[in-house]
Amino acid sequence: MTGQTPLLTAERVTKSYAGVQALRDASFELRGGEVHALVGENGAGKSTFIKIVTGAVTPDSGELTVNGDLVRENSPAISKSLGIAAIYQQPALFPELTVAENIAIGLERKGFFGFVNWNERRRAAKELLDRVGAKIDPETPAGELSMPQQQLVEIARALGANAKILIFDEPTASLSEEDTQNLFRVIRELRSQGVGMIYISHRLEELPVIADRVTVLRDGLTIGTKVMAEVSSEELIKLMVGRELSAVFPKRVVEIGETIFELKNLGSRAVGIKNINLSVRAGEIVGVAGLIGAGRTELAKAIFGIVESDAGEILLRGKPMHFGHPSEAIDVGIAYLPEDRRKHGVVLDFPISANITLASLKKLSGFKGMNFGKEKEIAAEYTRRLGVKTPTIHNAVSTLSGGNQQKVALSRWLMTKPSVLILDEPTQGIDVGAKSEIHSLMMEIAEQGVAILMISSELPEILGMSDRIAVMRGGTIAKVFDRSEATQDKILAVALGH
Amino acid sequence: MEEVISPERPLSTEQSLRERLFPNNEWILLIVLIAECLIFSVTGSNFATSGNAFEITRLAVEIGLLALVMTPIIITGGIDLSVGSMMGLSAVVMGSLWRDGGVSMPVAIAITLFVGLAGGALNAAMITKLKAPPLIVTLGTFSLFRGIAEGLTRGIENYSGFSPTFLSLGQGYVFGFIPTQLFIFVPAIIAVWWWLHRTAFGRSFYAVGFSQEGSRYAGIKVRRRLNFVYCLSGLTAALAAVIYVAHLGQAKSDAGTGYELTAITAVVLGGASIFGGRGTVLGTVLGLFAIVILQNGLRLSGQPAELAGILTGVLLVVTILLDRLSRASVAKPKAASEEEFEVKNWQVGVLSGVIVAAALIVAGSNWLLVRSIKEERGSAAPTAAANTNSPAPGKKSVIAMMPKAKGDPYFISCRKGAEEAAKELGAELLWDGPTDLDPAKQNEVVEAWITRGVDVIAVSVENKEGISTVLRKAKEKGIKVVTWDADAEKDARDFLINQATPQGIGETLMDETARIMGGKGEFAIITASLSAANQNEWIKHIKQRLESKYPEMKLVTIQPSDGDRDRAFQETQNVLKVYPNVKVVMGIAAPAVPGIAEAVKQANRSDVKVTGLSLPNMCKPYIKAGIIDSIVLWNTGDLGFLTVFTANSLANGTFKPGDKSVKAGRLGEIEVVGDEVRLGKPFIFNKENVDQFDF
Amino acid sequence: MNFSRYKREISAAGAFVAILIVLAIVAPSFFSAGNLRDLLINNAPTLLIAVGMTMVILVGEIDISVGSQFAVCSIAAGFLAKTGMPMPVLFLSIFLVGAMMGSLNGVLVGWLRLPSIIVTLAMLVLWRDALRWLTEGAWVQNLPENFQWFGLSQSGGELTIVAITLTIFVAFAWTLRNLVAGRKIYAVGSDAEAARLAGISGPTVVLSVFALMGALTGIAALMNAVRFSEIPGNSGVGLELKAIAAVVVGGAAITGGRGTLVGTLIGVALLGTIGTALTFLGINPFWEKAIQGAIILIALVSDVALGRLEKNGRSNIAGAAA
Repeated sequence: MTGQTPLLTAERVTKSYAGVQALRDASFELRGGEVHALVGENGAGKSTFIKIVTGAVTPDSGELTVNGDLVRENSPAISKSLGIAAIYQQPALFPELTVAENIAIGLERKGFFGFVNWNERRRAAKELLDRVGAKIDPETPAGELSMPQQQLVEIARALGANAKILIFDEPTASLSEEDTQNLFRVIRELRSQGVGMIYISHRLEELPVIADRVTVLRDGLTIGTKVMAEVSSEELIKLMVGRELSAVFPKRVVEIGETIFELKNLGSRAVGIKNINLSVRAGEIVGVAGLIGAGRTELAKAIFGIVESDAGEILLRGKPMHFGHPSEAIDVGIAYLPEDRRKHGVVLDFPISANITLASLKKLSGFKGMNFGKEKEIAAEYTRRLGVKTPTIHNAVSTLSGGNQQKVALSRWLMTKPSVLILDEPTQGIDVGAKSEIHSLMMEIAEQGVAILMISSELPEILGMSDRIAVMRGGTIAKVFDRSEATQDKILAVALGH
Repeated sequence: MEEVISPERPLSTEQSLRERLFPNNEWILLIVLIAECLIFSVTGSNFATSGNAFEITRLAVEIGLLALVMTPIIITGGIDLSVGSMMGLSAVVMGSLWRDGGVSMPVAIAITLFVGLAGGALNAAMITKLKAPPLIVTLGTFSLFRGIAEGLTRGIENYSGFSPTFLSLGQGYVFGFIPTQLFIFVPAIIAVWWWLHRTAFGRSFYAVGFSQEGSRYAGIKVRRRLNFVYCLSGLTAALAAVIYVAHLGQAKSDAGTGYELTAITAVVLGGASIFGGRGTVLGTVLGLFAIVILQNGLRLSGQPAELAGILTGVLLVVTILLDRLSRASVAKPKAASEEEFEVKNWQVGVLSGVIVAAALIVAGSNWLLVRSIKEERGSAAPTAAANTNSPAPGKKSVIAMMPKAKGDPYFISCRKGAEEAAKELGAELLWDGPTDLDPAKQNEVVEAWITRGVDVIAVSVENKEGISTVLRKAKEKGIKVVTWDADAEKDARDFLINQATPQGIGETLMDETARIMGGKGEFAIITASLSAANQNEWIKHIKQRLESKYPEMKLVTIQPSDGDRDRAFQETQNVLKVYPNVKVVMGIAAPAVPGIAEAVKQANRSDVKVTGLSLPNMCKPYIKAGIIDSIVLWNTGDLGFLTVFTANSLANGTFKPGDKSVKAGRLGEIEVVGDEVRLGKPFIFNKENVDQFDF
Repeated sequence: MNFSRYKREISAAGAFVAILIVLAIVAPSFFSAGNLRDLLINNAPTLLIAVGMTMVILVGEIDISVGSQFAVCSIAAGFLAKTGMPMPVLFLSIFLVGAMMGSLNGVLVGWLRLPSIIVTLAMLVLWRDALRWLTEGAWVQNLPENFQWFGLSQSGGELTIVAITLTIFVAFAWTLRNLVAGRKIYAVGSDAEAARLAGISGPTVVLSVFALMGALTGIAALMNAVRFSEIPGNSGVGLELKAIAAVVVGGAAITGGRGTLVGTLIGVALLGTIGTALTFLGINPFWEKAIQGAIILIALVSDVALGRLEKNGRSNIAGAAA
């Protein structure tokens, strides 16, 4: 549509924060009507690059052109006026405001004293929501929508702004398969309309489905741009990490012991799960698959005592248990690595050491108060063992990258010496290197005889790591597959209810 | 920061001493504190003495206890505005149980502590069960607790006459020099410090402050933690109230007014983050003493106490600003909010502009205003501050004179006479007192004067029992003590400068009202605050006179004005509507009378007259317009004048107990009856004579 | 119209109506024209401040220094009047003095990102004590004739106060709902980060809101001052809590983003009527504070009760999103 002029180019963009180089001479080109994937490990500079394009951050040097015109000054407002819009993993909506207003704020270009036409807002919102195939009442406050719905509202907003350049930052990270397919449908439609899209994802398997070209970033450098059809996942990973990964999943055969943990007809009306029957044995990894909203995280919450279960029972080594609070579950050796790492997994502003010991404070307190020497010792031990990259255990966790944060979160639960470990999306949004380290750790833990329940939305991970796979649908377990019989198609079929 | 993360570098597990001791830059405060001490030991008289050090800590105990428990609350990201009000409620509960309930003191204290715990539990329940924001919950209970205290006592009740054993808890010394309450305060500091910094339990509160949800997922019982701190806060407020009552010797519904804000200020000065997660006991203690020493030091240096408020405000903004800037520069690139903080050059320019302009405009207008006020006053009056700095006072006697409240126009007019007398006598006059009606503040000022060493202390007493203890102490130290305007206990002072007895005032007011009304009909009273002691005494005599002399008159209602003109205005409007037959509205607080008059004027009720106790200048326009028929008062300037003359004569020995009269300059010989120097009868100001007075 | 979104406003209005009904039965004289007029005029300054406070709370901040600002503005108004300044110029000057003090808060909170409760706590102490220090509590007396009621007659002056207040109220209510500027306040309060990404400058909005708060405080102080012939040195103590309570009772969320000026109007009416109502009902005035506190707590309880009803209907969606 736009001929040979690229929609967006970035030339030799450099940015450093307080001495740390986030981007070094990074160059990038986006054409009209293409989906251009941007991949790289966490900390490779993707976020910084996006921030520079959207004007949230000013680069130290380098040039940015849009439609062939040099962008001399940038800011969120300017980039918006240039037709650039970004859709983040965590939708940036106003929870108290209605959907119509959320859309309007992004697209109305009125001065401070511009007049707000509410009827026009509603009409425009309805039209845009129809275009992305979302059945949402424009009068609903955005805070009451589900995450995929919020994402659609954001896309509608970008469409309304006549965005020519759309940036997706990990859009599918928390989407179910169904919602992902819907999103892809919308993306393809936009592509046919000549919109250029930058697509960031850790899910390499979805790139061939949706992307036309791919650019790899590593340590702030652009390593190369390839046509998607000509490059394999393995090659991409190699480019990203700069080394070859021996095996994607380090699954080893572990001796499986007795049943440690069993759920019988477990249900909780508060979160809409029912009739859950499942058992996990020592050394076994049971994967839990399913769409978002199928009740996987809810199941974990009900087991761990975050929400009250009101039907059935939880058996630990044959003994019935009931947990009204997570602390009771922890006391008997159950650990839960939650889905939302930043909100629940770690306390971001707390030092690494305090985060690691937070769930085991009882073990550290004695008659003379807390044993700080022991805390340091244990924290250092786990920090080393899990390879958390940090100069000191007293740094706040917020200074770490996502993968390292996840390792701290995992350390916390390992310190409680659990016999049952529930992992909820253990590798979501973390880079490839850390991902594989965490998978290795899981095997180590399993080898020590811990029963592991692993919830994941990534089917390759489920298939690669699990001994058995429970597929959830509509708040209950629809089917349990054995490792040998499970395939991606079968799991998806059960999850979708075909 | 140069932290390039490499796996080869050895993992550090040690922290520097500075990081461990002062995680929130509390060292800034330590420097401020040291600076304060250095400056005041030069400028203040007797500042750097061990006696003063102990007195400072005594004064810090009540607010200190509140601040101590406010620390963990703020660490959990909450706030408790209700503690000051809870002190009022606790004081009232304890007083009424002991006096009216016939309960023994230990039991009364126990029940009071339980009431505090229950109040804290109410806060806790609203916050944890309803998940309501602590700021709003405690704003509600802030009103509720104080309201219940006022409702229970009808604002009037003032419990006093406690046993010496109980009072020694707040006034006594152990080993002759350590104030008793330190034996509660110091262990409390150590206990909270141990709890927050040395136990795993304390650690969990920090986690809750940073992330409630995150803490719950780590198995921390968040609700239980919050319930614990808010209950503890209620309990501590009750304990502070017990000490406060023992310290002042009286229990009234206004105990602890405004203490919550001082406690919060101390905690935040001490480096705690209002968003939760940060704060130390050491910081809070430093913050507390930074405030208390500032007040004490300014007083001993003869500087006005308001400077303490101004400096505290500035200090507060500067410390959080420094903290904010230091955190911003340390922040790592990954920290999400870091690039938010980019103050551009033009912003800095505009910012400085706004600050300077705002300061200039406000300061300028106020300076001009002050100048105009001073001109009106005749500008002859030297200020207290100017006097104190004059070198080598020689044989000049130092007279320290205290009003009930500095800002009260009544006392401002007294001050004029006092300054006139001081100038005439060549004496040094220290004029200081509470900036608002806080009974505890008077004790604080007297303590500072004792430490400073003055010749005479002259006090207009706000609360009799409380201040008598310190006045006795002053007498023991050889300082002459007189009271003026309102009396202390007889043995606590040498003389009372009596402008008029409560009985005289009450009867004159009643007689004036009767005269205006012709001896029959309905009238109403607008009083000061519901807990004002003087006014309640006058009302008692008004009622007695009414009963014995004017059977055809009826007092229909007594409404409070809180000493606020606007409130008096509003109450009068209501009274006029609800009681249409009222013929006279009597105001017995100086600022209330013009408010009443304005309300009558605006209602066009020429059939209603106003009388009461007020200052001529304030009421002049209304007296001339015939709305105010008359006001009753003595010559306030003369009262101040006489007080200083009497004090000076006492100091140089020309006047001593037993004398039948005292020479008072232009006032001539003034009669002395027993230990009372009598100014004369209350004076009635009306249309004819009001122009002769200017105060 | 989606009424469920305004249930807090509706329940506050219900409580207000209930009080009015009780008054209508027990003390019908409450509804005399004179009394209603007086109530309106007496609460006009509080309403103006509550309008500003609503915006401050909508952006998720708080201002507890308004009482002290009010005192400074009152005294400044008296002084300026004595210089013989004509009323319209005086009006503008006080507006500016207030806006200056508000901007100072706004700069510290908006641009330097200091917590508003602490900044305004400092200002509360600072302005109040500075005023005490400078004036020593003296009243401003001998004001020129044309100061009271703007130099109009009493009824004319009263009319002017009510007219100005209502005009300001309606203007702000309309602006908050229908102008981009107003919606920006909601946006910043609802989610500051999302607002930034949408190209809205949060610091500027916060600064403007605090400046407006100060300006409204200035006008309120003037509206209050002109009703009398003298100006006391120490007015406005506790005004901030009164305003915050009214806003909260009116349904605004202290966390920002939710609330309407109509709710605030109801809150001011409810809390402002209580004192007068007690006198008319013959109840002891000593209980006024306790009743005001109880109203705030009841508002919180009803908020949660209403919220629970609604949440049960959509717990599944919310659960899935979490």
